Amino acid sequence: MQFPAPLFPGPHRAGPPSREPPCPALLGWGGRGPVLGAGAEPRQGFVPLRSEKGENWEPADAVAVPLLPPNAGFRVLAVTPHDILYPGRVRRKLQAGRTEAALDFTRQLAHFFLDHPEDAFGAMGQLLQENFHLGEARLRGKACENVVPLSALLRELSHMDARRGCRQLWVSSRLRGFCHLSQAWLWELPLGMLGERLHEELALQWDQLLFDDAPTGGALAWLPTGGIGASRGCLLHPAGPAMDQLCFQDVVLAPGEDGALRPCAQGSPAQFKLSGRVRQVSATQVDGAAFVGVRSDYHCGAWRLQPGAVPTPLQVVRTTSPASCLTVSPHLPGELSLCTHSGAVYLWSVETGLQRLCQEPETMFFRDASPWRWSEFTAHPRVLSYADRTGVQCLDVRAPTQARRDLFKVGAEAGCQRGERVVLPLYLGQAHPAQHLIATQFSVYVVDERFPLVPALRWEHMMTVPPIFAHMMPGSPRGRSHKVLLGAQRTQELMLLQCTGGSTSACQLVGAPRRLHTIADGLQYLPAMTPHQLDWLHQRLGMPAAGVTATLGRCGPLESMLVFQLSEAGDLFYQTLLHSQPADSSPERGHADEPSTSPSLQTPAQAVQHLPGPGTSCGSGTEGEEEDRMETYLSGLEVLVNEDSEDEDSGSAGQPTDPGAQGQGRTSPNQTPAPSPAIAAQYRRWLATLSHAWKHLAEPAKPRVPLTLSQRRLFTRRELGQVPGDRVLHQQARRQLRRAMRERGLVVGCALGSEPSPLPLPCPVEPQAWPDDLSERLTASWVGGWSNWWEEQQGRSQARQARVRALREQRRRRKRARGLCSLSGSFSSSLTCQSDLSDFSDVSAWSVGSRAPTPVPASPQHSLAPSLSGQDAPAEPWPGSPLACSTQLSQEPGGSQDPGTPSQLLSSQMLRLRGVPRERRKTLRDYLSIFTESPVEPPPEVPSSQASRLGGDHRVPLSQSQASSLGGERHVPLSQSQASSLGGERHVPLSQSQASSLGGGQHVPLSQSQASTGSQAKRKRARMGF
Amino acid sequence: MDGFVEQPAPREEWGSLAPSIHLPLLPCLLHHPVTRGPKETEFQKTKEACLNYIQDALLQNQWQRAAEFMISYLEILETSTVSKRKTAPESNIEELNYFTERMKNLGVKYYLKVCLEHIFYLLCNGLIDEAYQNLTLAESWRYGEQTAAQNDELKLIQAYKGLLDYYNWSKKREAMLELDEENFTDSSEQEMHNFFRQAAVNLKEIIKIPGVWDPFVVSYVDLLEFYGDFDEAREVLTEYAYNSKFPPNPNAHAYLYHFLKRRGESKKSLVSVLKILHKTVPSHELMLEFYTMLKKSKKDKKRRLGLEVIFEVLDFAGWKENVKAWSCLAEQIKQILDNSNKHLDWVKEEWNSRKDWWPAFHFSHYLAKRNWQENEKLAYEKALLAGILLGKDCKYYKYVLHQGCKAKKKRFQTLKKFVKKHNSAYLRITACSDSSTHL
Repeated sequence: MQFPAPLFPGPHRAGPPSREPPCPALLGWGGRGPVLGAGAEPRQGFVPLRSEKGENWEPADAVAVPLLPPNAGFRVLAVTPHDILYPGRVRRKLQAGRTEAALDFTRQLAHFFLDHPEDAFGAMGQLLQENFHLGEARLRGKACENVVPLSALLRELSHMDARRGCRQLWVSSRLRGFCHLSQAWLWELPLGMLGERLHEELALQWDQLLFDDAPTGGALAWLPTGGIGASRGCLLHPAGPAMDQLCFQDVVLAPGEDGALRPCAQGSPAQFKLSGRVRQVSATQVDGAAFVGVRSDYHCGAWRLQPGAVPTPLQVVRTTSPASCLTVSPHLPGELSLCTHSGAVYLWSVETGLQRLCQEPETMFFRDASPWRWSEFTAHPRVLSYADRTGVQCLDVRAPTQARRDLFKVGAEAGCQRGERVVLPLYLGQAHPAQHLIATQFSVYVVDERFPLVPALRWEHMMTVPPIFAHMMPGSPRGRSHKVLLGAQRTQELMLLQCTGGSTSACQLVGAPRRLHTIADGLQYLPAMTPHQLDWLHQRLGMPAAGVTATLGRCGPLESMLVFQLSEAGDLFYQTLLHSQPADSSPERGHADEPSTSPSLQTPAQAVQHLPGPGTSCGSGTEGEEEDRMETYLSGLEVLVNEDSEDEDSGSAGQPTDPGAQGQGRTSPNQTPAPSPAIAAQYRRWLATLSHAWKHLAEPAKPRVPLTLSQRRLFTRRELGQVPGDRVLHQQARRQLRRAMRERGLVVGCALGSEPSPLPLPCPVEPQAWPDDLSERLTASWVGGWSNWWEEQQGRSQARQARVRALREQRRRRKRARGLCSLSGSFSSSLTCQSDLSDFSDVSAWSVGSRAPTPVPASPQHSLAPSLSGQDAPAEPWPGSPLACSTQLSQEPGGSQDPGTPSQLLSSQMLRLRGVPRERRKTLRDYLSIFTESPVEPPPEVPSSQASRLGGDHRVPLSQSQASSLGGERHVPLSQSQASSLGGERHVPLSQSQASSLGGGQHVPLSQSQASTGSQAKRKRARMGF
Repeated sequence: MDGFVEQPAPREEWGSLAPSIHLPLLPCLLHHPVTRGPKETEFQKTKEACLNYIQDALLQNQWQRAAEFMISYLEILETSTVSKRKTAPESNIEELNYFTERMKNLGVKYYLKVCLEHIFYLLCNGLIDEAYQNLTLAESWRYGEQTAAQNDELKLIQAYKGLLDYYNWSKKREAMLELDEENFTDSSEQEMHNFFRQAAVNLKEIIKIPGVWDPFVVSYVDLLEFYGDFDEAREVLTEYAYNSKFPPNPNAHAYLYHFLKRRGESKKSLVSVLKILHKTVPSHELMLEFYTMLKKSKKDKKRRLGLEVIFEVLDFAGWKENVKAWSCLAEQIKQILDNSNKHLDWVKEEWNSRKDWWPAFHFSHYLAKRNWQENEKLAYEKALLAGILLGKDCKYYKYVLHQGCKAKKKRFQTLKKFVKKHNSAYLRITACSDSSTHL
């Protein structure tokens, strides 16, 4: 066992952790670390501690693929922040790094009172029974004396119930009075104590939500049956409704069409029902047999798996405090180490039983409250490593009470940061007998037992959540790197690292770290689904990870790495990575993504070319088969609208509806190719099985869906009963809706309307019509010349700009003097001055246009003008466009020619004449424009048919009925008055077609009149300004 | 940059609802309910988004894309201390030099760090001369008061300069050794001496600071040895190995041992060096040498230690299949047995603490099969020991002997005879140990 001769140099410090947190943007990137002469001579070259040259592993598929059918019975859903926090009350102090959460224990209390009224108020209720009158009938005579009528109170309460969740809650004085009166004596249980306990429990839940260390180590293991690198093995994973069944699933690795190995489950697994949720599965092969340790909270079990035989359970131990770790010895058969939350470490031999090595409730190096302990084996079979959050020590089994050796310490020795804690130690025995991997929430360390305290390697892993799963695949002895896989729980992140060295050469990190697909990444390729299905799939696929394992395989020249990932719901996914040689860029692999092997091979434009739209190849075949959630809500005729938008900020926490938003919006759907058809089919099958299983779930076990709100309370009976104008159409629409509800289908917009008009495209933006700074910038970036534009804007310095401007002006003047005679000299010169001076040079063309109408490219606009605007719409420009407004306005008499209007003040020329510096003009203009706009103009003429249909009619717009039929979002139609009051504001005018086409979503349907008022006001200002 | 990663806060400051462990970033799902509290500025958001994109591209090993993001990001910001350039494998040197120059000017705080990174890059790409120039430049950089980290960086820069000077020196030395004494001119000798002086000054400086300085120590000692300053060399190495402020680097002991061996020091001092190493790293490869030294000793105590050393070496998983170590142990035990069992109690004592796990660890049936297949020599040595320590009924011994006899190897016959002859020793070892366990 050689020790690497020269180690990478570095200073050594002792004491508490002191390292400055790294430059946040840098994190683990860059930083070669110190270099070392590869030999005694410089010509032998230098090698860095962190080298970028390494093996290149490319994912063979675009997504992680389900390996087994979904864990059907699973029904325990993860707690979300929404459940335990006041809506909108997590604060993140950016500087201090603290999070503050306000726990919503009052809501939980309310649930308790509602769900268990007998326990909460039983005794008092019985006492008061005689004195409370709950009936409607009036009390008369003597009965009145000691009896209080409560019917009014109950009525109000029932109203309250209907408005639960509504923020604008108004509490009547009667209720308030009753609360005040009864607050002190009504409760069976002391309210203070109850609240306190509940708060404690919620704090615990919140803590677990942020970081849960129970599944550390992961409940997934791979045992190759036939040596390392064999093409078959056994996958150990928990399953079942409570994840309490241990499965030994035989898996064969077979090469696919592209040569990448893909696993295939063989036969039904050997199953063992355990008496607790499986938290950790650890397995090692010793002496030709495999030993498996399974940890649940209070039970630990050991199994032996011999090739070709049924797994045999060996022994089970029960612990009084929860076990936190169970590892299997790689040296001696039937030996395990076990840690509990009480701080005890046991050596568990299947033959001789448990031997307690030590028990220390206190942490090793400094105080830390966490009871988490971990233990691994070391190069010496009689020495265990013993870890808590503050560090790792070596513990001799033969003399456990004697002084221990420190292996790793959160401190300056290892270059730790403040607040850093050990999250997971892993013995890298297969790679090098003396090496240990130690993961903290910031970094990973490789520590050599022979040189304790000073890590051989440190690397910032850049994961957003502490990695609590790790798996190591030893590289072959021929200089191949060891691959280390780190997995996080809640975000499902997976990171692949490579390292080498340890015996002849110093330990090195090689290759760039690589992030692998998460299970939730598959969401972006899902076929179109109803919102409830999608929401539920988000919940299912976004479940925290429960384990990670991997194996290497080879098929011909192609090496594959198979990474298995288990979610807390018990779903097993895998992904294959292919080892690509840097020399050949493997053209034989057709669909595999290759944008990265060498940048020179592919320009970004090419890279963009093979971007698919999400879900292109998955198809939408499942839509029909899927169970629709509507059934439970659409009972009878009552239309229920989802409450989702009520708690928009917390309701769908954890399941962002935007697929790209998963993982801090880091996943970029743009760059990943779509999954291949075979995988899409596999995924589809998985989805079908899942939805089938879900259909057969008992009602209470179905996953939680957001609260719903009855629309009946939103509108008065009269409003609903009002006979609309077009009775036939209305009837027809109702029929359509009902049928759609019965069939659980979708209501397509055209099915409701009388004329099946195609949805109009939004009006194309006419860049010239938007002359302001922002719009120009947007236009420039849209066409791709943004940097040019920016440079133009920026210039090098003011002086240079001025000089250039002067020169240009001179030249132009000369040119114009030569060639242009149709326009008066003074006008053109002033015009050019203006255009040079103002940032909004294009506008000058418009002020010209007001005199001599500009040839507006009318034909494309007309063809695109929305058909909704009516058959009676004349051939005039699209009214929503400012272009149209300008032409409309310019035809008005007066216009900007009127010298008396205050808008005259705003013209650049005027301002210049008054000596206002250029940079102030804009501000001044904005300021003055307020005055010019202040009188709210009456909404201009709108075609009457539109107005009556969209704005004037009693706001059951088409889009709303769509929305309600989808059961998706609640929809607040704006009344006419609101719309017109909005008109004065500065906003991007929504064209009508946009509004109506988007109306099904969360859009406020702006009525035509509003849109045009808004644009008109803006248009006017712009024109007046220049 | 402040918004990107939260600054760690000491534990006691955390509220009761802070997580039990300080998280680098709040999980994304918990960002959702944020509605109140200090709002991030647009700039921060943009910046974060930009960095996320870059990070994402880098983690998917899409260098080209990352570089594009990076360029646009720099255009926007003009202030960034990111030096992600090194991860781009195909960046060319000029671009990189330009980039680093730009980076260096971005912040005083990171100047030296960027310099060092640049130098490392140049060194790894074999541009030694350019690296040397950069080192000289960076060495003379001064700006206000230096932080501790900057001080370390500066020292490291000086040390690397010293190392390069040493390399130049060793080149000259080689040239000198190739040529004859006469042809080696005074000027070249002068030049060589200059290199020596520069290297020695810088290397000596860094060795004073506690740390792992293997390449620098080796170079410095080489220089000193060449010029005959052995006392200084010994002092440096002793300091490096035994100063308690330095980390417990096994290499420090090894360097000292090799130096003393080169100097032809007495066996006693060599043994004492290795004895200390044995205490800290009992699995070090020098332990075999240590054992050989002890074995030859006349003192019983040392020979006893030798047995301990060799037994302990074989405890470690890394030595499990080392033929040399096994043959050493076999030889030692044979010697003891041949020596009329005089020191059999040593073996008994050593075996006592191992008898409960060595059989499973070393002498299982599975291992017998594997060892026989992979390494016959190893199997032979281990079978010998198994026969003596575990008796002739041991599975390992039986399997290997059977296989050996089947293959008609002569030495397995002698092995059989030997074990048979010393069966009494086995009985003694087990009997004694049994009695000792009963005590």
